[in-house]
Amino acid sequence: MPAIAETYSLGLPVEVSKIDQELKKLWQESQGAATRASLVNLAVYSENAGSLNKNTQLMAKITENHACRAIVIEADCKAQENRVESWISAHCHVSRAGSKQVCSEQISFLLRGGCTTLLPSIVFSHLDSDLPFYLWWQEEFCDPMDPQLWAWVDRVIYDSQGWEDFSAQMHLLESAEQEANQRIVLCDLNWTRLDNVRFALAQFFDHPASHHHFAKINSVRIDFAPGFRSTAVLFAGWLAAQLNWQGEKTEAANKFSFVSSSGRKLDVELHERPGEPIGEVALATPEVEFLVAHAKCGDLLEVSRGNPGEKRTPQLMPAAKNDPVSLMSEELMRGGPHHVYLHAVNRVRDLL
Amino acid sequence: MNRAADQPEPNPLREGLSARAVPQPCTIVIFGATGDLTHRKLVPALYNLAADGDLPPAVEIVGFARRPKNDDEFRRELEEATRNFSRQTVRDEIWKNFAQSIFYHQSEFEDESGYKALAKRLDEIDKNHGTRGNRLFYFAASPDQFEPILKHLKAADLNQTRKGSWARVIVEKPFGTDLASARELNRIIRNSFSEEQTYRIDHFLGKETAQNILVLRFANAIFAPLWNRHYVDHVQITAAETLGVENRAGYYEHAGALRDMVQNHLLQLLCLVAMEPPTDLSADSIRDEKVKVVRSLRHWSRNEIAANVVRAQYSKGAINGEPVVGYRQEKNVNPDSQTETFVALRLYIDNWRWADVPIYMRVGKRLPKSATDISIHFKEAPAVLFNKDLRALNVLVIRIQPDEGISLTIHAKVPGTSFRIEPVKMDFHYGTSFGKASPEAYERLLLDAMSGDATLFARRDEVEQAWAFIDPIEEAWHAKKDAPELFFYPAGSWGPEAADDLLAGDGRAWRRL
Repeated sequence: MPAIAETYSLGLPVEVSKIDQELKKLWQESQGAATRASLVNLAVYSENAGSLNKNTQLMAKITENHACRAIVIEADCKAQENRVESWISAHCHVSRAGSKQVCSEQISFLLRGGCTTLLPSIVFSHLDSDLPFYLWWQEEFCDPMDPQLWAWVDRVIYDSQGWEDFSAQMHLLESAEQEANQRIVLCDLNWTRLDNVRFALAQFFDHPASHHHFAKINSVRIDFAPGFRSTAVLFAGWLAAQLNWQGEKTEAANKFSFVSSSGRKLDVELHERPGEPIGEVALATPEVEFLVAHAKCGDLLEVSRGNPGEKRTPQLMPAAKNDPVSLMSEELMRGGPHHVYLHAVNRVRDLL
Repeated sequence: MNRAADQPEPNPLREGLSARAVPQPCTIVIFGATGDLTHRKLVPALYNLAADGDLPPAVEIVGFARRPKNDDEFRRELEEATRNFSRQTVRDEIWKNFAQSIFYHQSEFEDESGYKALAKRLDEIDKNHGTRGNRLFYFAASPDQFEPILKHLKAADLNQTRKGSWARVIVEKPFGTDLASARELNRIIRNSFSEEQTYRIDHFLGKETAQNILVLRFANAIFAPLWNRHYVDHVQITAAETLGVENRAGYYEHAGALRDMVQNHLLQLLCLVAMEPPTDLSADSIRDEKVKVVRSLRHWSRNEIAANVVRAQYSKGAINGEPVVGYRQEKNVNPDSQTETFVALRLYIDNWRWADVPIYMRVGKRLPKSATDISIHFKEAPAVLFNKDLRALNVLVIRIQPDEGISLTIHAKVPGTSFRIEPVKMDFHYGTSFGKASPEAYERLLLDAMSGDATLFARRDEVEQAWAFIDPIEEAWHAKKDAPELFFYPAGSWGPEAADDLLAGDGRAWRRL
C-alpha cells in the first residue's frame, strides 16, 4: 500500500472524479493496520510553484498532533492550459495510545489556468462531512473574494506578517466575514506568534495586588526582528486594547504614543534587532520594569521584574517557535472567536 | 472548571489566553517530602507544569520531613526522581531554574519549634520571592501524622490567612478507614482549616476521561434522554490491575480492595455517571449532585450482603505467562490473611432516575489486564422485526485508563442478501484524535488547588456518605459469626466464579475486557 506508507510524497495520482473511490480503496488495502482519524477539514491554498510538495511536508507534521482531512491546493492561475491534477495519500504515525498507526488523509490538487475558478467546487466535493472547515490561505486576498467559498469556511487562517497593505487585506477579510454573517473566525498566525510572549507578560499581573502597575506604565519597548514590525505593532495594539489606551497621532514609524483612560501619556518604541520575531518586551513604570526576553538557548523565555539595571533571577517559560508547523499547531489547539485579536487590530490599524 | 468565590479580579491581559482559573503565587509545603508520593508524583508534576509555563512566576516548594538534609541534597534527590518519573524529558536549564524554588525544612512532625521555624521561613519566602502569603499545605505523610501536623500548623498560626492571601490544605487518601475515623479526621482538619480550605485529593478525578464524563453527558443532547432507568439496563464499572500488592502490604493488609478502591475511586466515578445535571459548574454545585448519588445508594442489611457483594483473594497463578505467588505468600502479608484483593458488588441507586437499575462494580489485583472503564448497557430493542433473535445490547463504554476513549456498540446489517445483524463498535480514542498527551492527574489537581477550584476534590459529606455505605459491608465481613465467604481466584483470572454468578443470576454477564 504505497500511498499510505509514504508520508512525504503526494501519493497516488487519481482522477478527480474518482477520489472518493480511491480513498476507500486506500483504507481497504490497509486491512485494519491503520486507523483513519479526522477532527477537521484543513485546506491549504497557495499559488507558489512547488508549494504542493512543501505543504505536503507541513501537513505530515501537523497531522501528527491534529488529525484532519488535509486538502492541499496549488493553483497556477496564469497558466495557458486548463488542467486539474489530483493525488491521494495518508500521513500515518504511531499513536501514543498504542502500536496502531493513525492516519490522516490528504487530497492534493494542482489547478492550472481557468480551472482555478473552480476552487470552491473542488473543495466542497471533498470535505469530510459534518466536520468544520479550516482554510489556510497562504496568498494575499484578492478582490472580489469568492462568496461561495467563504460561506463554507469556519476558520480562515492567514499570516498578516507578509502583507504589503494591511488595511486593504483586512478590509477584504472583514467584508467576507460580514457576508458570512460573522460566522468565520479570523485566525492570524502573526497573532499566534505572540501567544507565548503575551502569556509570559500577562502572568505578572495575575494577582490583583499587581494591577495598580497598569495605571503607572509610562513606556513600552518592543524589540522585533527584521520583517516583523507588524508583529510588534500587533503586540502594542493588544496592550492598548486590553488596558484601554487610545492612540495619538504620530509621525515616526517606530515610535508612537497612547493615552491611558486617565489621560496619562505612554510612549511605545519599537526597535529592529536581528533575532526572534519578538526578541524582548519591556513594560516600565517609574518603580519597576517587567521584562520578557528570549533566552540564549532560543526556545525559552526569560521572565523577570525589577528595577531597571538591577540583577534579576528570571523565570523560564516556553517560547513559541516561529515555524509554520508550530504556529499552525498552536492555532489548531485553540477554539472560539478571536475577539481580542480584532480589538488589538482596531487599536493599531493605521500603524500596520 | 469554575472560578472560586474568592477568585481575584480578572487580569485584562489574560483575556483569550486561558480558559481556566489562573493559579496564584504560593508556597507549597509538602509534609512527607522524602516519601514516594513526593518523588514519583508531586515534584515531577510541578516540574511539568513549570516546563509547560503553567506555574505562576512565584511558586516555591518547601519539603518538610524528619531526615536531616540541606536544600542542595534535597534538590539533587528530587532531580533524580524527576528524571525517572517525569512524563517529559527533564531539560537541564529548566530544572536548574525550577530547583531554585525548592527548599528543605527538617523537623519532626511532633516538634512545635519546627513549625515556628517553618512560619518564619515562609514569611522570608513571601518577602523574597513574591509568594504573597499564599500557602498550600500538601499532606503526603501517613494519616496517623495528620493530627500532630494540623495541631502544630494551627499553633504556629499557619492556618490563618492574611488579608488578600489564602491557606489551603491538600489531604491524600485514605480519608479514614471507616465512617467514625473519617469523621474524626474531618473533625481534626476542621479544627485547623475550614471545609473551603480543605482539598481531598482523589487522583482518579484528575484524569482526562473522568472529567470527560460530565462533558459526554451534559454537552451531548443525544445521551440525556437515554440516561435513566427507562433506557439503561445496567451499568458496569471495572478497575482491574495486573499488579499484586507490591510493597504496599503494610497498608493493604488493613485496607483491602473495598477501602482502597471502592470507597473512593469507584464511587467517585459512579457519582459522575449517575449524578443529576448541576445548576452550574461551580465546585459546590457539582459536589452537591455527587453527594446525592452516594446518599441514594441502597444499604444492604447484614444478611443481604453475601448475595450482593463478593470478596476474594488471589492465589498463585500466572500473569502474562509469568508465574506469580498468591497473596498470602507475598512479602509482609499474614499467611492466614483474610484481606480481599477483589470485590464485586451489585448496588442500586434508589432515586427517580436510577430506581432498580443494577450497577455492577468489580475491582481486583492480579487480573489478566489493567483497565478501568465504565460501561452503560442499554435495554434491548423490542423483540419484533430484526430484534427477534438479537440478544446483544447497545453498550456505551467510557475507558478511563489506559487507552482513554469512548466507544459505542450498535447493530448493523452484515452485507449480503440475508438479514444477518452483528454488533459493530464506533470507537473514539483520545490518543488517535488528539495527538497531544494529557497532563498527569496530579498536574491538573495541583493547578486547581492553586487556583482555588475544588471541583475535582472530594467534599467532607461525600467522603462520609461513602463510608456510611461501605461500613456495613466491612462489618459483615469481619463478623465473628456467619461472615460471608472469602473466595479465592487464581492470579491471572477474572476473579472467582461467585463474581460471575452475581450477574448470571440476573441474566447478565461481565463485559469482556
